[in-house]
Amino acid sequence: MKKLGIGLAAFSALSLGITACGSSSETTDTTVAAATETATYTVDGAWARVSPMEATMGAVYLNVASTLDDALVGASVSTDIAAMTQVHETLMNADGTMGMREIASVPMTANTPLALAPGGYHVMLLDLIAPLEIGATVSVTLTFASGGTTTFDAIVSEEAP
Amino acid sequence: MKKPLHVIAAIFTLSALAIGCGSDQATLQGITRESPLTVGSASLPEEFENGTPPSEFTFVAKEGELLVVFFGYTMCPDICPTSLSDFRSALRRLGDRADKVDLAFVTVDPDRDTADKLAPFLSTYATRFHAIRTTDFSLLKSVQDKFLVRSSVTTDETGYVQVTHTGTAFVVDSNGVVVVELPFGIGADGMENDFRVLFNNIENGEL
Repeated sequence: MKKLGIGLAAFSALSLGITACGSSSETTDTTVAAATETATYTVDGAWARVSPMEATMGAVYLNVASTLDDALVGASVSTDIAAMTQVHETLMNADGTMGMREIASVPMTANTPLALAPGGYHVMLLDLIAPLEIGATVSVTLTFASGGTTTFDAIVSEEAP
Repeated sequence: MKKPLHVIAAIFTLSALAIGCGSDQATLQGITRESPLTVGSASLPEEFENGTPPSEFTFVAKEGELLVVFFGYTMCPDICPTSLSDFRSALRRLGDRADKVDLAFVTVDPDRDTADKLAPFLSTYATRFHAIRTTDFSLLKSVQDKFLVRSSVTTDETGYVQVTHTGTAFVVDSNGVVVVELPFGIGADGMENDFRVLFNNIENGEL
């Protein structure tokens, strides 16, 4: 339990750091009508890592918050960008190796930013149609369990903004 | 039992910061062992573009230099680009010393990572690099064992290729000794710190 507490505290601290670092980036608010309440989504710090030559996979990182208890359940980009888009999580296995898995649903607590950051959750772009070039933008749509969606531009760069 | 890496990275980052705050920054932030790994006897084929025949690469730095060894694959969208970007950032801050850092990238996915893919991939991150590749998995494993590295490549029922690998980078000296291990999450700051510490040691004759 102690380790978990430290881990969560550390993660929270890291998330705050990432949020602060992303302050210069575009912020997108999208309002949707949910069944009983209206959810507003806030995205900031969205970026995609420039794809190395010959790389056919890409990753988009961002912070996203919902005004409702919600869950991130999907992501998409134009098929002009990538053949397929998935929400992935990078994990450390028991043997110390790291791998990824597609994740169907990432729980979100109301008004608490969910960080999609290197080494954790990310929007994975599979089979890139063309390399992601620095300065370009990728339009990404996220889908939530509440039925809402939000669309934003991720800036292609070498490092997090 | 799996743990999200961001939690592990955050713990590590805070630990590293805690160490850094109480020191003169002359300490290594990566992992050191009482009995360091010795990898100088290991070798694998280095491959080149344009059909140039492979040559045997030995995991030893040149005199006065450092060799950084990564295990990964080019279709890796998160771990490998993050670590290699951090490596590139650290080198950019090192000035002239960056010329003395060599990079060996061992593909754990040799069936897909051909030489023509590896070199352009690595050129994104470094000017000096070695594309290390063998399709002899028992040979690859024997070398990985010296680094205590593991990897796997499996294809699921949908045809998706799942690759796992150890995310640590290894800094090797001119004696073939791993002088520090850089775990995923150490970041560019940690790498830069450790390169500076190691070069100071080299220049002081302590390494």
